[in-house]
Amino acid sequence: MTPNDVSPSRATGSGRSGPQAAIEFRHTTLLVTAALLIGVVAGAFVPPGPVNLVVATGIAMVVVLIVAVFAGKRIRETMGAFRFTATLLVALAVLAILGTLILQGKGPDVYRARYGPVAPLILALRLDDIFHGLPFALLMALFSVAVLFSAALRWPIRLKRIGFFFVHLGLLLTLAGAAASSALAIRGRIDLLAGGDVATHVRVTRGGLPTGEAQPLGFELKLDKFDLVNYESEFRVGFYQQRKVRDEDGHESEQWRLKTSFEPDTKRHLLPGGDSFQLTAIYPDFVREAKATASPGGPPALQVTIGGRTAWLAPGDEPLLAPNGAVAVVFDAAQPLPVEGVPTSVLVSAAKKAVVVHRADGESSIELTEGLSLFGGLLRFGPFLPAAERSFAPGTASEKWLNPAVQISVREGARRQEKLALAAQPQAVMLGRGGALVFEKRQEEVKSYLSTVTVSRPGQTAHAVISVNDPFSFSNWTLYQVNYDPKNPNYSGLEAVYDPGVKWVFAGFGLIFIGVFFVFYLKQYFVDDPRKHASPKP
Amino acid sequence: MLQYILAEHPFFAATTAVYAASMAFYAAAWKSTQRLVGQLATALMAAAVALNASLIVGRWMEAGRAPFKSLFESLVFFAFTMGVVYLVMERLYRTRVFGAIAAIMSLACLVYALGKWDAEIVKLPPALQSAWFVPHVVVYFIGYGAVAFATGVAAVQLVAHYSPFVQRLLSFKAGTVLSGEELDLEKITYDSIKFGFVLLTFGLLVGSIWAKSAWGDFWVWDPKENWSLVTWLVYAAYLHLRKVKGWRGDAAAWLAIAGMAVVMFTYLGMGMLPTSEESAHVYTGE
Repeated sequence: MTPNDVSPSRATGSGRSGPQAAIEFRHTTLLVTAALLIGVVAGAFVPPGPVNLVVATGIAMVVVLIVAVFAGKRIRETMGAFRFTATLLVALAVLAILGTLILQGKGPDVYRARYGPVAPLILALRLDDIFHGLPFALLMALFSVAVLFSAALRWPIRLKRIGFFFVHLGLLLTLAGAAASSALAIRGRIDLLAGGDVATHVRVTRGGLPTGEAQPLGFELKLDKFDLVNYESEFRVGFYQQRKVRDEDGHESEQWRLKTSFEPDTKRHLLPGGDSFQLTAIYPDFVREAKATASPGGPPALQVTIGGRTAWLAPGDEPLLAPNGAVAVVFDAAQPLPVEGVPTSVLVSAAKKAVVVHRADGESSIELTEGLSLFGGLLRFGPFLPAAERSFAPGTASEKWLNPAVQISVREGARRQEKLALAAQPQAVMLGRGGALVFEKRQEEVKSYLSTVTVSRPGQTAHAVISVNDPFSFSNWTLYQVNYDPKNPNYSGLEAVYDPGVKWVFAGFGLIFIGVFFVFYLKQYFVDDPRKHASPKP
Repeated sequence: MLQYILAEHPFFAATTAVYAASMAFYAAAWKSTQRLVGQLATALMAAAVALNASLIVGRWMEAGRAPFKSLFESLVFFAFTMGVVYLVMERLYRTRVFGAIAAIMSLACLVYALGKWDAEIVKLPPALQSAWFVPHVVVYFIGYGAVAFATGVAAVQLVAHYSPFVQRLLSFKAGTVLSGEELDLEKITYDSIKFGFVLLTFGLLVGSIWAKSAWGDFWVWDPKENWSLVTWLVYAAYLHLRKVKGWRGDAAAWLAIAGMAVVMFTYLGMGMLPTSEESAHVYTGE
């Protein structure tokens, strides 16, 4: 036996002989089975609920304690023994598993629809709310009593057993805190509009469903501002493959599923199917750039740079607008007309080689020359070709990813294919061996949502920003950010919680962890090893 | 797919290959009388763990967040923690007997991860943007690594009854038992589970505290929470039953293996539950 082992005591029973172990086994089986059966039978008359859970646990604890006091030492020793505790742990585990196999906390209609003929049994046995039901309450009562008796049997506290007592005190504290939370906590929803109403009450919910009750907060809550922060837009080259999918009715269909995706870079990438692709050109702000060369017999062409963007205009082209929309340039063979809805139209005539600046309050005319600059450099004229031929090539208006496009080059064995793909109009590049490449914009995902609030009551005002994982506490209430409305940027959904038990729960957590660590790793330093004091052998 | 992994993710391929190589050398060390074979096995395992770490760090940098969001990412991390736990145990108990099992476990994680490959790196939703995210996951997965190692040892303990080869391996005469003493498998299993239990306790409590700050409630009987509790209860039962006559030896080994089955279901099986649609905890990923 190593120093880490607790020496077998009368109480633990690990060294007990057959008949005593058999008695312990019988008592354990009897107590646990009785708790479950009584819980099931009584549960037919007492509906599950947080208050009923706490009351039933309390009453059962008192009854068990009284019975144990009068029933004899053996019962107390059984309840303080390792076997009993282990059995309870397994029984609690079984209930926990059951609670994941059967839907919990739903209405009877849901069970009838989901479980058909078994639904009445589930509802009758109260398996729709296992964790607030009487079987669970009675097991928790036995567990609490077991914790008490195991501590009593090892009393008084000695340094080497401090970890044990920490763990068990922590368990009792956690259970007490959980009971207080269960019975006394108030939880509810507050829906606010930014700059709108002031909330003074919370709409109480239970199990996530409204109860119809309202609880006063004791203070005023105003939503000053609501912010929704999204991740930056992302553009990716997605590789999709078809997959057979069966729906609820058993019908099979083919669905395109994203298999993997790539950053838009110019490296050659290998695809899962064995093909490869490369982006041979990337245009962050795609435009079809016109280039013009002198060509007899062709229409005139004029190079114009407006707001940093350069284009070759020909008669009949759409007006070229400045980025601020305040200036439009029109080029025509004869005399172009002003553009409606634009404050300043710059009308360029190829025939007259003149530039007319037209505003609501009048016009002015200038000779067209190469290098002519207007409006502080916003508009600049380049070469004028009296007869030209234009060609168009993909280009980019800027380095900002406003309207990206890529030239995808796919290699499938000996076969090659090239395609220009615009993110704004995703089109699949189909691959011969199955699969497709799509250059697309990822949906903007929510990064965070924050409510800036003001809370006030007589003599006290506070401001706070509430976000997910960053609640705000005021006057015994804690406010949590739980919801937003994508269609209404001013709406914020908060949850208000009053929970008097949580401090005890967390204190219990701390004790449990310290105790567990002590039991397994520190106790050895406090256990007196008898071998140290043994006389040396002759 | 293999070509794609080799070309696009060479570090992943290398990590898998080195785990496989370490497994082969550990298995060879069972029979070899050359110390070098065992030393090479350990060196390869350490190299595999280092490569595994580089995958995690690389993914962390690429994603701009801790790589614990998807099933694929968690499998890569689990392979890493099992490798690390094994190397520590090898040093503590001065034996390489279990190296092949540990390498197989890490390798199996990475091979399974191939089938759960992320289509792309997903963003972290608001609920996971918390200072508790990293400690909760790290502590849990190191705990999983410890109980996984314990399971391997428990399995060897059970197999040893039927296999003279395994019995010889475990005796102090074998080249892979560096301490020169016979291995006490039950103690090794118990020590590993103790360590894992401390971490599972911490992970469970930290998760509960995080749930309070994120959802306003420290316990909502979420299916994942329930199964994490079941895991904790099973190992707590194991630790208590060690003090009960008749629950040592093979019974304890079987309980350790049952505990690992619960861990695996908690980790991978949530999607099978009819109540999983209620859970905010189920891993995304095909």
